[in-house]
Amino acid sequence: MDTQVAIEFQDLSFTYPDGKQALHDLSLQAAAGDTIGLVGPNGAGKTTLFLCLAGILAPQKGTIRVAGLDPRNAADRKRLPAHVGIIFQNSDDQLFSSTIADDVAFGPLNLGLPAEEVRRRVAEALGRVGLTGFDERVPFHLSGGEKRRAAIAGVLAMRPEILLLDEPSMFLDPRGRRELIRLLNELTVTKVIASHDLEMILDSCRRVAVLDQGKLVATGAADEVLRDSALMEAHGLEVPFRLRR
Amino acid sequence: MTLAFDKPDCPPSFLQRLDPRWKLASVLLAVLALALLRTGGAALAGLLGALLLVVLARLPWRWYCLRMGTALTMYLLFLIWLPLVVEADHDTFDLGIVTVSLTGLIRLFVLSANLVGMISLMLVLLATTPLHNVFKAARALYVSRLLVFLMLLTYRYVFLLIDEFARLRIALRVRGFRNRADLHSYRTIGQVAGTLLVRSAERSERVGQAMRCRGFDGEFRALDEFSTTPRDVLVFSVMAGYAIGLVAWDWFAR
Repeated sequence: MDTQVAIEFQDLSFTYPDGKQALHDLSLQAAAGDTIGLVGPNGAGKTTLFLCLAGILAPQKGTIRVAGLDPRNAADRKRLPAHVGIIFQNSDDQLFSSTIADDVAFGPLNLGLPAEEVRRRVAEALGRVGLTGFDERVPFHLSGGEKRRAAIAGVLAMRPEILLLDEPSMFLDPRGRRELIRLLNELTVTKVIASHDLEMILDSCRRVAVLDQGKLVATGAADEVLRDSALMEAHGLEVPFRLRR
Repeated sequence: MTLAFDKPDCPPSFLQRLDPRWKLASVLLAVLALALLRTGGAALAGLLGALLLVVLARLPWRWYCLRMGTALTMYLLFLIWLPLVVEADHDTFDLGIVTVSLTGLIRLFVLSANLVGMISLMLVLLATTPLHNVFKAARALYVSRLLVFLMLLTYRYVFLLIDEFARLRIALRVRGFRNRADLHSYRTIGQVAGTLLVRSAERSERVGQAMRCRGFDGEFRALDEFSTTPRDVLVFSVMAGYAIGLVAWDWFAR
């Protein structure tokens, strides 16, 4: 694998079975360790792009390499979960086990790791997101912020080299949001963060890509792109408060 | 929210320490035996055996009675009529203006005893074994993978559905909806049911995607390792012997 490039896709297009084209000829490259913000209005194709990168949806056109693997290749697709983690928009979609420890252990167990190693990873991941002692708690008893952190722990326990985060600050109160930003900034893995929370994108990402109606309309340094009020206005976004003059 | 079927805080008991595979096998065998009983004596013996396990498991009585009461309320609505159904060959007696069937009364007793016994056994299992271990044990006993996942995910998501229903109900009420016996109400309830169905389908799709993203290949895995001890085999043998004994007694007593 080319260690410098973590994610690379060229002319990526995806159409849903009902005929709705969600992605149109997208091309982007992310270097290892990079943090890219993916911004755009609702329905822009951010989640679809993530699902294509994770090998859940198969694009009809274009090439993809994620952690050196091709998600469209069946053998590579089986190896992808060890390399790529997704944090879903709604944590309830991700937390399905009867206890938090079981849920965090779900991924590492699927990787075939020995029980001792899985336990170590569960403890470490829960500690990292500030949920030490929550092992035996049941997911539906947690607050929105705790659910989000538990979902992140479930992915961190797999130690992926690439993290795809779909609206990670959604359902979080201001303190939870601040803690999330701190946590994300501490992670040295490659990250792609899809969000409407442009202040958070500014805090966490050096580069942003603007996606609208399945098309990549702008990429560049976060503060430059997000400062462009005409661009933001044209694609249903707003210039973050701290960049307004 | 607090609708979850929480595992109660039972004081330590030997039942908690049993290997979940042997425990599940014992309970399933005993439940099957209870379901087969038709005579009063055997049903009473089965019920007493199940209640003995409830005592040995040291279940909190309030927790036990609440769940038993809820389950029985549903079933008794159907069973309560049995003594009032009089057929030609039934022994009967008069209770004021009502003729009561003795045969029906015995049937009510047998069915109720079987029911209480079976529910008690399941409550003992669920209260002394973490749910994920019950599912893992079920897989170890070659219960269909699909069935195990269906139970696991139903347990997990039924509460979210209840939450969603509660939100929809509030949304209806704040817009002035009151449930009445008219066409508008029936139509609205139909639409709510449809909305819930669509939301469930969408959620199941997303849950499936999230599971595959974390390497799920269709096999159920859990952290706890099971190990069989002589005590597990002994308890299973005693329960299996009791179950077979009950069925034999019932068979010869008919």
